[in-house]
Order: sequence, then structure tokens, then C-alpha cells
Amino acid sequence: MSRKVLCLMLFLQLFLLVACSSHKEKNVPLEDVGMVGIIAFDYIDKDNMKLTVAIPQYSPDAQRSTQTFSVVTELVSNGVVEIEKLSDKKIVFNQLRVVLFNEEFTREGNIRKVIEHLYRRAEVGNNVLIAVVKEKGEDMLKYNYPDKPNINFYLNDLLQPSINTAFNPNTTIRDFMYTITNPVYDPVIPFIDKNSDKIEMKGVALFKGDQMLELIDPKEALVIQAIQGRKNLAPLSMRMEQGHGVEKLLIDLVQNDVQIKSNKSMTSPKLTLSFEIKGTLVEYKGERSHVFTTGKLADLEKDVSKELEQDIKKFLYKLNELQVDPSGLSEYFRMYYRGKWSREKKREILDKLEIDVHVKTSIISTGTLK
Amino acid sequence: MEEKEQQVIDNIKQQTQDIDDVVFKKMATDAGVVTIIYFSSLIEKMTLQTMVFIPLTNHINQIFQVSETIDLQDMDVILQKLNAGQSLLFFHKPALLQVIDTYSAPTRSITNTETESTVIGPQDAFTESLETNISLLKRRIQNPMLKNEILTVGTETNIKIAMLYMDNIVNKENLDLLRKRIDEIQYPFFSDISELKQLIEDNPLSPFPQYYMSVRPDSVSQYLVDGRIVLIMDNSQAAIVCPTSFFEMFVSVEDYYNRWTTASLLRMLRFFGFFLTIMITPMYISALTFQTEILPYELLLNLQESRSKVPFPPLIEVLFIELIIEILREAGSRMPAKVGQTIGIVGGIVIGTAAVEAGLLSNILIVLVATSALLSFLPPIFLLSNTSRFVRYIFILSAGVFGLYGLMLAFSWLFAHLLRLNSLGTPYMTPIVPRNARDLFDSIIRFPTKYLNAKKGISRAQKK
Amino acid sequence: MSTGQSKRKILNAYHVIFLTQSTMIGVGVLSLPQQLSSLGYSQAFMPLLFGVIASITLYPMIWINSKYPNENLFRINEILLGKWIGKFVNLLFIIQFIFFIAGVINSYMHLIQSTALQEKTITGPVLCFLLLLVYIVTGGIKLIARFSMLIFFITFGMVYFTHWAFEKGDITHFLPLFNFYSANDFYDALKKGYLSILGYELIMFYFPYIVDQKKAYRHSLIGIWISILLCFITTAISVMYFSEWQLRNVEFSILNLFKAGEFSFLERIDIFGITLWVFLIFSTVATYLWCAKKGVDSLISKSSNVHLYILAAIIFFVVKLPSSRAFQETLFTSANYVAYMLIFWPIILILVHLLRKKKQVQL
Repeated sequence: MSRKVLCLMLFLQLFLLVACSSHKEKNVPLEDVGMVGIIAFDYIDKDNMKLTVAIPQYSPDAQRSTQTFSVVTELVSNGVVEIEKLSDKKIVFNQLRVVLFNEEFTREGNIRKVIEHLYRRAEVGNNVLIAVVKEKGEDMLKYNYPDKPNINFYLNDLLQPSINTAFNPNTTIRDFMYTITNPVYDPVIPFIDKNSDKIEMKGVALFKGDQMLELIDPKEALVIQAIQGRKNLAPLSMRMEQGHGVEKLLIDLVQNDVQIKSNKSMTSPKLTLSFEIKGTLVEYKGERSHVFTTGKLADLEKDVSKELEQDIKKFLYKLNELQVDPSGLSEYFRMYYRGKWSREKKREILDKLEIDVHVKTSIISTGTLK
Repeated sequence: MEEKEQQVIDNIKQQTQDIDDVVFKKMATDAGVVTIIYFSSLIEKMTLQTMVFIPLTNHINQIFQVSETIDLQDMDVILQKLNAGQSLLFFHKPALLQVIDTYSAPTRSITNTETESTVIGPQDAFTESLETNISLLKRRIQNPMLKNEILTVGTETNIKIAMLYMDNIVNKENLDLLRKRIDEIQYPFFSDISELKQLIEDNPLSPFPQYYMSVRPDSVSQYLVDGRIVLIMDNSQAAIVCPTSFFEMFVSVEDYYNRWTTASLLRMLRFFGFFLTIMITPMYISALTFQTEILPYELLLNLQESRSKVPFPPLIEVLFIELIIEILREAGSRMPAKVGQTIGIVGGIVIGTAAVEAGLLSNILIVLVATSALLSFLPPIFLLSNTSRFVRYIFILSAGVFGLYGLMLAFSWLFAHLLRLNSLGTPYMTPIVPRNARDLFDSIIRFPTKYLNAKKGISRAQKK
Repeated sequence: MSTGQSKRKILNAYHVIFLTQSTMIGVGVLSLPQQLSSLGYSQAFMPLLFGVIASITLYPMIWINSKYPNENLFRINEILLGKWIGKFVNLLFIIQFIFFIAGVINSYMHLIQSTALQEKTITGPVLCFLLLLVYIVTGGIKLIARFSMLIFFITFGMVYFTHWAFEKGDITHFLPLFNFYSANDFYDALKKGYLSILGYELIMFYFPYIVDQKKAYRHSLIGIWISILLCFITTAISVMYFSEWQLRNVEFSILNLFKAGEFSFLERIDIFGITLWVFLIFSTVATYLWCAKKGVDSLISKSSNVHLYILAAIIFFVVKLPSSRAFQETLFTSANYVAYMLIFWPIILILVHLLRKKKQVQL
């Protein structure tokens, strides 16, 4: 008896809910929803920012493939409400892909607050990419790119991990929150700029604390990625002067293994980085072009290693002077330190840090010709 | 003619007053005058000739050896025998009533089945005659331990059912329970054994079938040897096997004829197909109404485009098209064959394509619903595919109300319900939930035949 | 089925294992890393510590139950402490169960509402949940045990979803080990975290139904350690994936781990994680509700299904209390501390039992 009553009650309730729900609940169906793909924040002054959203149009009759809206606002959610007044659809962030900040914002404003707000929202996923724009994000979104119909897909594909932009840290919201709250790291965000009709990735923005410090170029950014253990690095072009005149070559890096050891001391810290790089020698211009034929690759490899070591060391010392640590080197000292780790301790370590770099290059092939 | 004999004949005539196919034939034989009484609709003329007329005229002693004596006054027995197709021989002189079994009503010959056909394996199927069916089983199990009890059901109709089991393997408690249940039935008429099935099941209110039903003697005899009990009813083509488990509903006898790799693949397809068919359209509803973030971006844009023309919310759209498919299915099975083809084309092409072009339905949804309709026909037992049609509506409604959360609630209802069911005392979800390792070899994945020796725990067979 | 006073032995070893296991994994596990966050990165070993404590405190429970093999804890209370004190203590336990169930349902429904169903109030989901819950509990403890077994195999696959977080994480977070600075932090984490893995003490209520009572300790221990291992794995992966700030501030850390991954045809695995979690909530809450019903049965000394409906209605009203969120939080947390009493209660009972034995011997 009891089971029958229960089942009956269940079905009855389901029917009632379905029947009543279509009147009372305002469940917006899919076609009336404007899914924001890209959101851009531009700096106006200390309190205000300009919010621009780009919404792709699915209808094939639409004139433009993307709709953009801009408002000036103090709070992010307030801005969204203002935008809803301009658009006929309900704005949701379920499919947000890219967040853009302009350079001024990252230097003067507080991007941590904005990203924290997005991180807090349950509907925004964790894999949303972040990038810093040189001029204004609004201009970048509103510009009509001739051979890229939809800015949403264009930017998303540009910032995704790919082999040729291996220096790109592909920072997502989660990565940013992780590095900014972790006293061991300093955040890095890719830097993009409009170059006539295309968007180009100029380099990587380095942060100290919550503000952007400076822009570093792709070659140096590659070092950060290499230290963090990224396996597939971009093709590396080098200019060497190791006793055979000026030589230029391009190595297609196939694999990278890194090992880091620290001497566990807080008073005189020393780190040993060992890289093992395997690559294909694609092109060479210089004195030793006979290396292709005689197979005297070993010498070339040693020279390449030495050059790389010098470059890496130079870059790391530069970082130490700036007191920023995007690659998390101080983690290897935190592991052996008892007590709370803080940013001050990190900067302390960086001040005194000595780095020893060993690179072992193996050129595994030189193409199909002998 | 003596008074007493005339009285007997008048009595019988009175009881069979409006039954116009009764025949009273008087014959003169060596033993005196004999009145032969029978129902001509149940007896074929040749049978009557060979069994009654010819022996009566030539070797009348044979009659006495073959026939049975019944009491002159016992009208109930007389009528019952007459109704069972037996011929009454009333010998006037010694006032003796003999009866010979001459039942030979026309029956269908053994053909192959249309509903449960297989590519390889025996193709014969049960017919509506009880004797033929029992013979189909007995020729496969030539063992004196195959017992065969005949019971009658139906208060108005007295239909015979046969309960078959292997005496050395079957569990006696199951037998007693089943016998008790059949004895307790008070129902006037059974047109098919599936009606009987609904009255002797453990949980008659559940949408899931708890006994296995089949028209193939090869699968039924396999279950007999496994220690199950089989019920066959006269005038009914199917046989029911009890007890059974949920996972056996996805087993077709062809799985045993195929090799184990193909068999396992097909079984997994059927099993997951059952769950897919109840899940596809509810997932569509919840992904479009409530949780749009679970779909990738490009797919979502596609969906937005196809849904932009449709004026209804996804739930109504899905219910609408599900109902159309149900209508097509029902109409297709009721329609006479000549008209069926045309209407089928009308239904499929016109309604499908034209509706999309008119903007009443979205084309992605039609693909999904058609796939789920196809998937619902996968289980070999027809009753289970009907169940999935019903269960799908529950899932659609819950998904329409609460999205993915409602879908999971519906799933927990389904699991809780399945776990409660029993099939003649054995839990419905063995071998997964009361776990039985040996049985797992033959559930969703079928291991090679040489490992499949042991009797299944489902039948709780006797230990040797 | 077994809603009457039948003391048929129906729970075999697997039932006991999975009952214990699934009652422990409820909604608390979802935010376990956040509750242990006062310890920072070194919280990874805490689940193991909890497992040890649980195993130790399980022993007195089994011991006292084995002295009265056919009675559940409610009856043992009455036997040992006299009728009125026993009934009073039972009432306390029943109230604690009700609040515990309401707390679990409340936090889970708020989670669902904030992530999966943003536009509805929680009345509808709670009502449907309670109806299904009553349906499951009327099937008796055996149905609950079977349900837990089935659910375990289905939701176990969720551990696979954490592998993206595992890849993105830093294994160096584990060092230095045991790096906590003050005993206060340790005590705080212990207090908050232990509540999440409560649930094994309910064995005191279904003990009479266990077939193999001698080996009950071993079986429930297996169940406890399965849950502890799962907690350990998820806590460890959280430590690897999050920074200390994130551990402190991100609620429902386990779901955030799921957010890290995606398939090509399906994104936002965390929505699946949240909705699949309802199975685990069912298996936890159903056992508690069954125990509460048994309690009411023994209070009134009559058993009927009406008690179940009344309990469900009370739970519904408690969940829908029109009070502020903060008040609800304090109410539920303080009710949970009564649960600690339940864990140490067997020790008191054992003392009483031994005293009585001595008195009887003296007599």
C-alpha cells in the first residue's frame, strides 16, 4: 500500500511541476541566450573600467558574425546588467573563452579583483584563457578582421597551446589564481597586440605582486616554460659566437627534460638546473656548414649547449634582479623549509640565489640529406 | 430401447441442447447398438474413422482395451470429456459408457518465428498446441528427469497449462511457491500466457517483466537444463521461464551460437543501448534548458541555429516528437499490410522532413529521437523494450523539470526500483548485486563456452 | 520487507562493507580539503589519521553490540540505563539524526542550486529528494545496502575525473611533511574534518541484522578504509593542485578538481560530478533515516511506516526553516557535535555494562 502511494505521489508531483513550471519559471531557452565568448576590460581610472563583450551570432542571416557591447562601470556584475539593457538576449558566461585586459589596467589597476570575481562565479569554467592587450581591448574586439570571420574563434585558437607558440604560458583563470595566491610564484600572462590586420602574440607579461612589471620577449619566455618542464618547446633560433665566427642556426626542439636540485640552504641558496634537450638541426648558416656532411655534430652540440647555458643564466639573473620568479624556483627551497612561506622569503632567496645551469644538447637528426 | 438408456441419452441431449455441433450417431456392432456422442468441431473425421468407427465394426475388443469407463450418472465428467474432444461410446445392452480420446482439432504446423528470429541456429518455434510444444521440448531433453505437470486454470474456460522442470536440478521451494500461486488464481479467462504471467509475478505493479518469455524451444530448453521452471499454456505461443534476472533480458539465444567475442560485443551493445535509449533525449533537454555549459562551443552554436526556428521549449518539442514516434509505431503495427507501406513513408519522410523545414522541430533532435527509438528495440525480449518506452517518459519529465539533477534522481529511482524486484524469490539484479562470480561469466560479457559449465545461481539449483 | 521487528539475519559481509563505506562518504567529503586547510599543505595525511581514530573507536561499538547480539543501540540504552534515561538518550540521538540529515540535504541543495539549477528555489528538488528517500528506506536496510553497493561501482569511476588535476598539479607540495606550526591549527582541522567522515557508528543500529557477527569488526574496518583511501586520494590531489589560499577559500574543492578536465564532446565535468553525487547523498542519508525510524519505533514501542513519513515531513520543515543562512550553519554544526557524543557513548555503556555484571556476580 505504502509503495503505491509513494509512487503515485512522485508521478503526480512531477506532472504538477512540469505543468506549472512553464508559466512561473523564466527558464530562458537556448536561442534567447547570448553566450559571451570574450570579455575585455579597459582601464579608465582608479574606479572605473570599460567592459566590452563579444557574443557570436549563430544566425546565418546576421550581418556581422559577432555582436559587441561596451559599457563603463565600476563593478563587473553591474556592467553585465547594463549590457543586458542594450541587448535583447540574456547574457550568460557559460561559454566564456577569453578574458582580455589592457596594459594600463595591469599596470595601474587591480586585475586580481576582477579575475577573482570571475573565479567565484560558478558558471564560468576554470579553463578560460587570459591575455594582456597593448592598446584597448575594445578596439581589438570591434575591429573587422578580413579573413578571420569570427573574433571569438580567432582569439581562442590563437591563445590555445600550439607548437609554434610554446613560449605561451596559456594562463587560465585557475592558473592565474594559483600563481597569484601562491607565495612561490609570480604570474605570467601572454601579451598580444594588433598588427595591421592580424593579432600577434608579442611576448609574455611578467607580474610582480599584483601589477605588471614588464614585457619579456618570446625567447626569454621560452626559458620559463622550459624550466617548468614543458616537453615540447618551440623551434629555437640561435645566434652563436663560440669561436667559429657568427653562426646562425635553427633547432627544432623535440623534447626537453629538466631536473632541478637545490642545496636546501636558506642562507646561501644554490640551484642546479640540468636540461637535456633533443632536437633536429633544421638550418645552419655559418662557417661550419660541413658539419652536415662530416658528422662532427658533437662539437656543434657542445657549442650550442654552452650558448644556451649562457643565455639561460643571463635571463635568470635578470629575473633575480627584478625579484620576480615566474618559474617557481623558490619552490625547491620551500620544500625543505619548516614554517610559513611568504613572498618576502621568496624575494630573500632570489636576492641571494646562485644558479648553475647545465645543458646537454643532442641533435638527433639533420634532415633527410646526408 | 430401454428406459434407462433413453434417459441417459436424453440427459446428455438436454445438457448439450444449444450446442449444435454435437453429434449423436447410432451404430450397430457386434456388441449391440452403440450411440457415439462427440463434438464434431474438435475431432477430425479421419481420427474418428480410424479410432472409433473401424474398430467398432471390425475388432470391437480393441475398443474395450483402448477406452476408459466412466460413470453413467456423473454428468460433469461426461460434459468435461466431451468438451475435451473425447468421444463417448454408449453401449446400450450392458449400459456401459466408454470414452476414447480423439482430440484432433486442427493446429498450426511448426514454422519459424517472426519476432525472435536468429540468423544461425534452429528456426522452429512454439505453436499454439500444448502437445506440439511439449514435444518440441521433450525431443531436446531426452531425460526421464524432465517432469511435466498439467494444471488447469481459468474458472470459465479450464485451459490446460504444463509446468516442466528437471527433477534432479530444480529447487523444490520454487516449485512449491509457483504451484501455490497458480492454485490461488481466480480468473475467468486467459487468452495468452502473458496474462497468466502478470498474475503470478512477485511484483505485479512494476513496469519491468520479471519472468522471461520466449517462443523459441532452443532457448527455453537451455533454461530447463539450468534448473528453471517453464510454464506452457494451451493456445498460447510463448513459454515463460522463471526465475530470471534483469541481465538475462538482454541475452538472446543467438549469443550462444556466436563466438564469445561477437557475443560479448552484441550483449554490451544491447545492455548499454537500453540505458542510452532512456538517456539520450533527456540529456538533450537538460543540456539545452538548464546546463548549457556542458556542451562544447561549436556544437552549441549549431544547436542554437537549429533551435532558433522552433517556437517551443525543448521539453515540449521532445514530448511532441516522442508522441509522434509512438503514434507511428502503434499505427504501423495495427495497420493492414497493404496500407502499411504507404503510411510508413508518409510518417517518416513527410512528418520528419517537412516538420523540420516548417520550423516545428529541430533536425538534430529528430536524429537523436530516431536513434533512441532504434535503440529501444535492441533487447531481445519485447516486453523489456516496451518497458523502456515507458521509462523514457519518466526520465524526460524529470529532466525537463530539474535538468541533469532530475536525470540523476530518475536514475536513483530506477536503481532503487530494480533492486527491490524479485523474480520468484531471487533478487532481480543478480549477478551484480547479490554478487555471484560464476554467473558474471555469462552476464554482460560472455566468456568462451568451455568456462560456462556451472549452473547459474539464479535458479538456486540443488547441489549434487 | 524488514520494517517490522523481524530479526532475520540478512546482511552479509559485502553488505556491511559497503554500508559502512557509503555512509561515510556524504557531502562533507566535497569540502574536506577546505576544512583541513588550517594545516595548509600538510593536510594530506589527515585522512589517514582519521582512519586510525575511526578504527580505534569502532572497537568499543562492536564490543558492546556483541554482548547483546539481537538488540540495536536504542534497546541497549534502555536495558542498561533503565527505561526513562534510555528513552531520553534515544530521543537525543533521534533529534541529532534529524538535524544531521537536514544539514546534509541543506548544504547539498544549496550546492545544486548555486551551480546546476540557478533559477529555481530548493523546494522542488528537496521534495523530490525526500520522496525518493522515503521510497528507498521503506525497502529496509537490505535495499539500502544493495543500493550502496551498486552506487559504489557506478560512482567509483569519478576518481578517473581527477586525473587532469593530477597532471596539472605539483607533487612538490607534499614536502615538507608535517609542516604545521601550532597545535591549535591541528586541533581545528581535526574538529572540522572529522565530521566529514562520520557514519561508521551507525553499525550499532544495524548490528542485529548482520549474519556473521564475529567478523563484523573486520568487515566494517574494510569499509572504513575504502572510504579513507578515497578521501586520502582526493585530498592529496587537492594539495597538489591548489595553492594554500585556494585550499582555504575554495568551497567544494573536489568539484573544483573536476573543473580542470574536459572531453572533446563534453565540457564542465564538474556538473556531472555534482549531479552524480546525489547517489552518494542518498546512500548516506537513507541509513541515517532508517536508524531514526528504528529509534522512533523503539521509543513508542510500535513499528509502523507512518513514523517514516512523519520524520520525512519534519526534515522537510527543518530544511525549509525561514531563517538566515548563518543561523542554519550554526544550528547544523552544533547538532553535529552531538555526533561526537555518539562515538564515545559506547565506552560509557561498556562501563555501565561491566558495573552491572559485577553487581550480578556479587549478588
